[in-house]
Amino acid sequence: MKSLLSFLFFILFIYPNLIFAQSVKLNKLIFEPVFGYSELNLNDSFYRLKNDDSIQFQTLKFYISKIEFINNEETVWKENKSFHLMDGNDKKSLSIQLTIPTNIIYTSLKFNIGIDSITNISGAMGGDLDPTKGMYWTWQSGYINFKIEGKSNLCKTRNNEFQFHIGGYQYPFNCLQIVKLNCKQSDQIKINIDVSKFLDKVDLSKQNHIMSPSNESVLLSNKLLNAFSINK
Amino acid sequence: MKKIIFLFFIIFVTALTSMKSLDDNLFKTPKDWPKHEYDFSRNKLTLKKIELGRLLFYDPILSRNNSISCATCHSQYSSFTHVDHALSHGIDDRIGSRNSPALINLAWHKTFMWDGAINHLDMQALAPINHPDEMGEKTENVIKKLQLSKVYKHLFYEAYGDSSITGEYFLKAISQFELTLVSANSKYDSVMRKETNFTNQEINGYKLFKQNCASCHTEPLFTNQEFENNGLKADTILKDFGRMRITNNPNDSIKFNVPTLRNIEFTYPYMHDGRFKNLSEVLKHYTSGIQNSKTLSKQLLKPIVFSSNEKVDLIAFLITLTDRAFLFNPKYSYPKNNLLR
Repeated sequence: MKSLLSFLFFILFIYPNLIFAQSVKLNKLIFEPVFGYSELNLNDSFYRLKNDDSIQFQTLKFYISKIEFINNEETVWKENKSFHLMDGNDKKSLSIQLTIPTNIIYTSLKFNIGIDSITNISGAMGGDLDPTKGMYWTWQSGYINFKIEGKSNLCKTRNNEFQFHIGGYQYPFNCLQIVKLNCKQSDQIKINIDVSKFLDKVDLSKQNHIMSPSNESVLLSNKLLNAFSINK
Repeated sequence: MKKIIFLFFIIFVTALTSMKSLDDNLFKTPKDWPKHEYDFSRNKLTLKKIELGRLLFYDPILSRNNSISCATCHSQYSSFTHVDHALSHGIDDRIGSRNSPALINLAWHKTFMWDGAINHLDMQALAPINHPDEMGEKTENVIKKLQLSKVYKHLFYEAYGDSSITGEYFLKAISQFELTLVSANSKYDSVMRKETNFTNQEINGYKLFKQNCASCHTEPLFTNQEFENNGLKADTILKDFGRMRITNNPNDSIKFNVPTLRNIEFTYPYMHDGRFKNLSEVLKHYTSGIQNSKTLSKQLLKPIVFSSNEKVDLIAFLITLTDRAFLFNPKYSYPKNNLLR
C-alpha cells in the first residue's frame, strides 16, 4: 500500500518536474524614458522644445505586450500571457522579468505597444489589464495603448495642459504598433523610449488632446515606432 | 486501509458532484434560441457570484454620493428600464441624453448601448459609473469603497476565494447577475411551445408583425442587433448622431441599435430618446412619420400602411411579448434579505 502511495506521489509531483525541467535564466527588459539626450523625469523637470518653448510631463503610461525573441526572422521564444503596464511614475513597473531557457539564441526583440484586438473584446481581466488601472476608456470599450500628459506654454488650454490618449483596436483606427529591435544577447536589455520623437511633428499649439480612437491617433501611434530603441 | 481510502474517494466524488449540481443549470438557453454570445468559460456562473452581482446592482455605493444604483434607471417591473422617463435621470438630478434600455437576454448581445459603444457585457458598467450625468463616480473609487466594507470583503471572499476586491471581480460579478436576466416566458413563447393559442386578433397582429417589423425585430430575441436609422426627426437640441459617434463613419449617421420588443408593454417611453409615450405613437411614426435621409433603413423605404383595426391587432400581438414571470421573479428583485452596511 505504502509503495502505491509513494508511486502516486512520484507520478503527480516529481515526474512532471523531471520531464519539463529545463535550465532557465532570468532576463530583464528595462524601459528607460528619455527626452532627447536627457533622462525623462515626470512632474518637476522642464524640457526644451524647438524654438525655446518648454514642456513638462506628468503622466507616461503604456502597455508592452506579446514579447518575443527572434533569431533570423524566426520566433525562438515568446512570453505567455504577455501584458505589461509601464508607468513612468513607478520605476519598478518599467523593468520586466522574463524567464527564458539558457540555450536560446536571438538576434532581435519584438513586442507590441498596446493591446491586441482579441484581448480588447474579451471582457474584464485582472492584473495589469484590470480596467481600473486608468488605461481603459469607460464610455467606449477599448484599452488606451499609450498615454502621455503634461504642460507646455504652447498649449492655449486650461493650465496649458495636453493629453494624448492613444488607442483603438477596430479598423480603421487600429493603433496597435509592433516594434522589432535588433539586440545583442544579454541578461539585461535596456530600451530607450524617447518621447521627443513621439512629439516632434506635433504642433502643440494646434493639437493638444486626443481622447478617442481617430485618424489622428493612428498617425500618432505610428510615431511611437521611432521612439523605441535599444540603449547600447 | 484500502476500505478507508475507498470510502474517502466515494465521499470526495459525491461532494464534488453535489457542488457541481448547485452551480449547474444557472443559465439555460431557451429552446430554439440561437447560441449566446457571452463566453461563460471566462466567467463561470456560481450562485455566490450571482448573488454578489445582484447586491452590487442594487447598491448606490456605485455612485459618487451613494445615491444612484444600477436599479435607479433599470427597475425590474419595467423589464429593467427607467419607466416614464424619456431621458434617464442620474446623480444630482442631472438628465442624460438617452432613454435607458431594457436589460434582458444580455447573454445574446453582441454590443451594448444605443450606439454600440461597449463591446462586452463585463465592460458595460464602466460607462454609467463614470458618466458625470449618471453615477458621476470613478471605478477606482468604487473599488476603494467596497474594500472598506466588511460585508463586501466577506462576500467577495465567498465568491472568489480572495478578499482582495479587484476591478475584474467587481465587473464580472455584475455580469453574472445580468446574465441571469433571461426573459423567455411570455404568452408568445407559450404559443411557440404549443402550450397555448393566440386569439384571432393576436394571430392577425403576428401576421402583420412578420410582414412589416420582423426583418429588424427578428424572433426570437425580437432584435437583429443591427444599427438602423428608423426615420426619426432629428432632435436639434440633443444632436445625437448615434452610431456615427463611435465609427466616425457618415454612413452610420443617426443609426441606433435595434431594441428588443420583449416586454414592450412595460418599457415605455420608446425610442433612443424616449420621444414616444405609447405604442400608438410608435405605430403612427412608422406609418406616417418617417423622415427620409441618406442613411434611412432600407426596410423603411417602402411606406408601411396599417388600418386602424390592424394597428389594434398589432398592439394586441406586441402585448403577448410580456413576460410576467420575469417582471415579478423574486430572484431578480431588491435583495432585501441581505441588509448592507
